[in-house]
Amino acid sequence: MFDTFCEIRLLDIDLSDERYKISLSKDDITFLALSIKEAGLINPPIVRPLNKKFIIISGFNRVRALIYNKASKIVVYQTKKDESDYQCLLTSIAALSFKRPLTHSELIVSTKKLYEFIDKNEIAKKSSAIFNTKLNPQFVETLLSIGALPDPILELLDNGNLSFNSAKRICAFEKETVNIFLIVFSKVKASNSIQLEIIQHFLEICARDAINPIDFFNSKEIQEFLFNETKDPGIRTHQLRTWLYKHRFPTLFKTRQMVQEKIAAINFGNAIKFLSPQNFEGQDYSISFTAKTYDEFKANTHHLTTALENKSLKEIFDR
Amino acid sequence: MKIETLFIDKAVGRNDETEYLISRLKIDPQWVEDSKPVYNFINDTNDPISKAKRTLYITLNKGTIIKACPGTSCYTCCDYTILQSGTFCTMDCSYCILQAYFHPPVLQYFAGLKSLGHDLDKTFCQNKIFRIGTGEYTDSLIWEKVSLLPKFLVETFARQNNCVLELKTKTVNIESLLPLDHNGKTILAWSLNTPDIINSEERGTASLGARLKAAKQAESKGYKLAFHFDPIVIYPGCEIHYKQVIQQIFEMIHPQNIVWISIGTFRFMPKLKQIIEKRFQHSTICYGEFILGLDNKMRYFKPLRINIYKEIISCIKEYAPKVLVYFCMEDEEVWKKCMGFFPEKEGELGHMLNKSAAAHCNLNPSLL
Repeated sequence: MFDTFCEIRLLDIDLSDERYKISLSKDDITFLALSIKEAGLINPPIVRPLNKKFIIISGFNRVRALIYNKASKIVVYQTKKDESDYQCLLTSIAALSFKRPLTHSELIVSTKKLYEFIDKNEIAKKSSAIFNTKLNPQFVETLLSIGALPDPILELLDNGNLSFNSAKRICAFEKETVNIFLIVFSKVKASNSIQLEIIQHFLEICARDAINPIDFFNSKEIQEFLFNETKDPGIRTHQLRTWLYKHRFPTLFKTRQMVQEKIAAINFGNAIKFLSPQNFEGQDYSISFTAKTYDEFKANTHHLTTALENKSLKEIFDR
Repeated sequence: MKIETLFIDKAVGRNDETEYLISRLKIDPQWVEDSKPVYNFINDTNDPISKAKRTLYITLNKGTIIKACPGTSCYTCCDYTILQSGTFCTMDCSYCILQAYFHPPVLQYFAGLKSLGHDLDKTFCQNKIFRIGTGEYTDSLIWEKVSLLPKFLVETFARQNNCVLELKTKTVNIESLLPLDHNGKTILAWSLNTPDIINSEERGTASLGARLKAAKQAESKGYKLAFHFDPIVIYPGCEIHYKQVIQQIFEMIHPQNIVWISIGTFRFMPKLKQIIEKRFQHSTICYGEFILGLDNKMRYFKPLRINIYKEIISCIKEYAPKVLVYFCMEDEEVWKKCMGFFPEKEGELGHMLNKSAAAHCNLNPSLL
């Protein structure tokens, strides 16, 4: 693989050619630059000679760090001039995957690049040697499907706005619907389960009410939730999620709200918990309080006795 | 769906029953030692459920043929008895739980009329009323045109006085049953739904009109009838549509010949949703307001169930105040709010149904 271990001029590296770059993260290289200053370059990057220049196979950050340090030369491993594209790609992936597990977006980028040379079964077969982990053909197919989604899919995956499961879910959708969710998840910040809930409720409302997803997405409320830049992504997520839930389960939402309002109207006091049955399917309401002293106990029972006179309490049970 | 492939368990052997089935199905059977080749055959496709509907496996019922319905926890059960004559179905209803119930689903026909007769004799000897149905794991009449079983069952039940047979169907396959001397011991029952739901969710089933016409024909031959509104599907305008179905029933059928009408809203094991979404891409049946019930099945939010039940019950009662209407798998609150009472004691609902069966089908009243 490597012809020579040599020193080259940093100016001779073509930084614009990122064909072997599999990591999207723009890491802060300040510490790495400092480390190189103090401890020297421990692992030389790997480069490939091409058109009188060099292109990086592995070590993009190290090269950046040296440029940051205003160095003029760098020690590198240089591949043979006639090394194949495929072999260089394998090197770039293995150099990273045997250092640390690849992120989902790195797996997707790597698989997509490999797929230009070998099919999904071959990728799966060679996965242990390339990725330092076993991938089955089905998973490789999923990676390829996600990789085929438009931008900013990888960025969203990388910054955690879109979970791998959500990406997998939206892969099956039509192009317009995929674009909708890419916009949605670039505007909100939610856990994996909440992302999946948002996708599910959005699509189920569309299916149930026979609304085109684009028309639904363009509805005034959704647009306001997503594009209100004065609200932070957490609040936008909460508003969107609540609104979708309200539309997906209108009667349940209304009933819950009504019961909550009535419970609040009873004014049980802070120490008493009054809980309605889960989804109102069972019939048992539960009430509980804790008391550290006799006086606390007495105050709570007093609240309960007073609640008996409150019509809201009866209305909850007669609902 | 038409049967394309026929497997027969070698243990069944060649006899009148199998020869009749083969001759009527007009397919060369593959004789197999066990079910493994059948499972392999069905699983060797992207859609085993559809393939299973076209693949019949004739075998013996190696388990209990007649057994109590398992019911479900936390909801009131009707103490039904199941006669397991087969599994799965040739029709293709989106909501069918059998798609998710068997792994994979196999369309089985349990041969062995002799041993079935023997088991039934034991049941007939007990001093107890049994309501026995074959429609739990399959449709009762999908094999009527190719099998001797329906005729055998009707004639066998005709000879005793403590059991009633309920044949529950979405077909109109009753031709061979019409001339039989049933002695009132067979109830022919139809699952009914609105034309919208039949068209969109019940592939390969008979239309509402055809089902009611068949019911009328059965009534004319002295059969007692039952109807099952299960699953009731809630959608905009459904109340009016279900009332129209009820109106149609009573325009064609005399209320006194109806032994019972059951009602139950759509409920499903959570894993069925994925199957419906995959196999019935235009179906929106799962997108109602479902919550997880106490038995871990998805059910409509209770106030919605109560609302549609009230509408349906009041409509039935307008036409037929005396007809026994009961809930399949509902709880105390629903019973009380919709019916005004709750069969609280163990076996109480079963007793109500037994009484109706005894009165309509001339069962021995001393066994009540």
